[in-house]
Amino acid sequence: MYKYLLESVDGIQWFGIGSLLLFFCTFCFVAIRAFISKKEDMDRMAQMPLED
Amino acid sequence: MSNIQQFQYDNKIVRAFGMASFIFGIVGMLVGIILALQIVFPSLNLGPWLTFGRLRPLHTNAVIFAFVGNGLFMGIYYSLQRLLKARMWSDTLSWVHFWGWQVVILLAAITLPLGLTTSGEYSELIWPLDILITLVWVIFGVNMFGTILTRRESHLYVAIWFYIATWVTVAVLHIVRSLEIPVSLTQSYPIFSGVQEALVQWWYGHNAVAFFLTTPYLGMMYYFMPKAANRPVFSYKLSVIHFWALIFIYIWAGPHHLLYSTLPDWVQSLGTVFSIMLIAPSWGGMLNGLLTLRGAWDRVANDPVLKFMVVAVIAYGMATFEGPMLSIKSVNAISHFTDWTIAHVHVGALGWNGFLTFGVLYWLWPRMYRTELYSKQLANVHFWIGTLGIIFYAVPMYWAGWTQALMWKEFTPEGTLAWGNFLDTVTQIMPMYAIRIVGGSLFFVGTIIGVYNLYKTGQQGSFMANESAEAPARERVLVAHEGEYWHRWIEGRPMQMLLFSTILIAIGGIVQILPMVFVESQVPKISTVQPYTPLELTGRDIYIREGCVGCHSQMIRPFRDETERYGEYSKSGEYIYDRPFLWGSKRTGPDLWREGGKYPDSWHYNHMMDPTTMSPGSIMPAYPHLLEDKLDLSMLPAKIGVLRTLGTPYAKDFEKYAIANAQEQAQKIAKNLAGQGVKDAQIEDKEIVAVIAYLQRLGTDIKIKPKE
Repeated sequence: MYKYLLESVDGIQWFGIGSLLLFFCTFCFVAIRAFISKKEDMDRMAQMPLED
Repeated sequence: MSNIQQFQYDNKIVRAFGMASFIFGIVGMLVGIILALQIVFPSLNLGPWLTFGRLRPLHTNAVIFAFVGNGLFMGIYYSLQRLLKARMWSDTLSWVHFWGWQVVILLAAITLPLGLTTSGEYSELIWPLDILITLVWVIFGVNMFGTILTRRESHLYVAIWFYIATWVTVAVLHIVRSLEIPVSLTQSYPIFSGVQEALVQWWYGHNAVAFFLTTPYLGMMYYFMPKAANRPVFSYKLSVIHFWALIFIYIWAGPHHLLYSTLPDWVQSLGTVFSIMLIAPSWGGMLNGLLTLRGAWDRVANDPVLKFMVVAVIAYGMATFEGPMLSIKSVNAISHFTDWTIAHVHVGALGWNGFLTFGVLYWLWPRMYRTELYSKQLANVHFWIGTLGIIFYAVPMYWAGWTQALMWKEFTPEGTLAWGNFLDTVTQIMPMYAIRIVGGSLFFVGTIIGVYNLYKTGQQGSFMANESAEAPARERVLVAHEGEYWHRWIEGRPMQMLLFSTILIAIGGIVQILPMVFVESQVPKISTVQPYTPLELTGRDIYIREGCVGCHSQMIRPFRDETERYGEYSKSGEYIYDRPFLWGSKRTGPDLWREGGKYPDSWHYNHMMDPTTMSPGSIMPAYPHLLEDKLDLSMLPAKIGVLRTLGTPYAKDFEKYAIANAQEQAQKIAKNLAGQGVKDAQIEDKEIVAVIAYLQRLGTDIKIKPKE
């Protein structure tokens, strides 16, 4: 079914799969780095609107 | 601490954008109420200038670009200065930006009722205004980046990332969508045609919602909600993930506006998948906003600012849950072309944008005027009337959408359409349209109360045009030490942030649009499909001028009920000479793609003079001026020339014969009309013959047998 939907251009399956993979990698990179970042740094950033 | 610097924040520009926001909010909402009234009382369609078709784009443009546009500039100019500990880079640029934007709005308010439109939704403005918008946007960008580069605070708070992404994406969207070749000062043809233009339009249209109505307002949420609640955002980590995931995914979702159309399936599927994924970052952001109020919920009951903000964020959550649901093909099959879409966008516009704007205005005004809010009670009244307004608007529209979709799709046991006359499905939902007027009016009254409250607040206080502040000069060197927060590297470097944001948003557009433009097989050609004749082309431009696309689609989806009602479903190759494409997104009237040959010419003549003579009970405006106004063919040579440049295969030197060709066809139609009993001298010189020529051509090319 998926192949049928995507078969109207040569190699088009890579557009869909590549897009999702690209997003997956970007998301994992951002999420992992955000979660391992230091709490103090995050807290300091979060305080910024309250300090002006 | 000898490096402490004294400076002043510019509040005057913030106030100017705030005032423009609520003034144009009133105008935009008022036009909305007029439109709602015109549907229930069609006699309110006055003259050629104030008909539904011409006013609808005025309403959408006023609300999006004037009300919300000025609102987001207000929020950005206030928060940016404070988060960066710097005055705006250039006061002159701030005011050029302000007045430039208001001039665009004013010119839009003049040109749209005059029928000067490109017809693309939310991109209706004519090419000289497109250039003006570009200039104003560049000025805004220079001022914003000038401020960022001369800031005193090293780190860029997440709100500013949203502002940067907004600026760059809107710039890219606007430029690509406005690629067109002028025919005259007020008309142009887009470089893309048919299905390709449809994809570019909805890549633009959807992302105008994403990056004009959403990302700057999320930035404002991340700044003003912590301010109003007096506590930091619930999770800064979540806001980082929210930002990158949202801007990456949003840009891909445009094709969900074109499900079951002739767009290739692979693009539709990609749009659906990314639209469904969009729920995750959207809800992450919503929860981050709501949880910012942890421990402060008791204050929500007493503080109108927080009340407005909470309902705004909840409305955002509802709209961003509904959006992905509407992108599922089986749901879209029911919702598309109905009032369900209208309900959906109004939950976003009235709830999310409207209420967040009011919340910010109620928070800002007393601070800038160094006083208390004039009346908390009036603000509460505004809140409740506004909330009721949203409910009385949205619920009837959901009901109307469902009812009409089910009626369109209902078959009798004998296998014929249960509601073969489209008009029956309209009259059925008229009570819902009437209740919608109540909802819109309630919201409007609330807004007037709000403006009065802000006016009185201003009167009782004294305005602080320049607010003194001090901060140490910025340390220029930012080094990410080992083990330090990774994002520190980018958050201190706005130009890198700009670059990465641009790359992320560009990927979606490139993957979806480029194959459509460059891969020939994406739009299968049909040998019998020919370019429009000069007279049909003139009629088509009149159709565009009158905004017919606001109520009539030209896209028959491959459903049994649609092929039964309208005829053969639409094919991609039928639209290759359509510049602009006119598929539409709402059916207040029936689809017109197979209109050609359905009725005699005289039917269209009488229908335009007074629709109720041909369709008793019709709510379509009358167009008697088409029967009186002289047909202007003078631009035809220029139009033919531009279209040939764009690839329409008109014969060499056809420009020279175009006017004569149009006159000849007009004579034939006049003869037909006379033969059908229409007694009207000189009818061949009137606009109506061009409109008839166009309508009679619609969707007929595939009925011609190809030559062996």
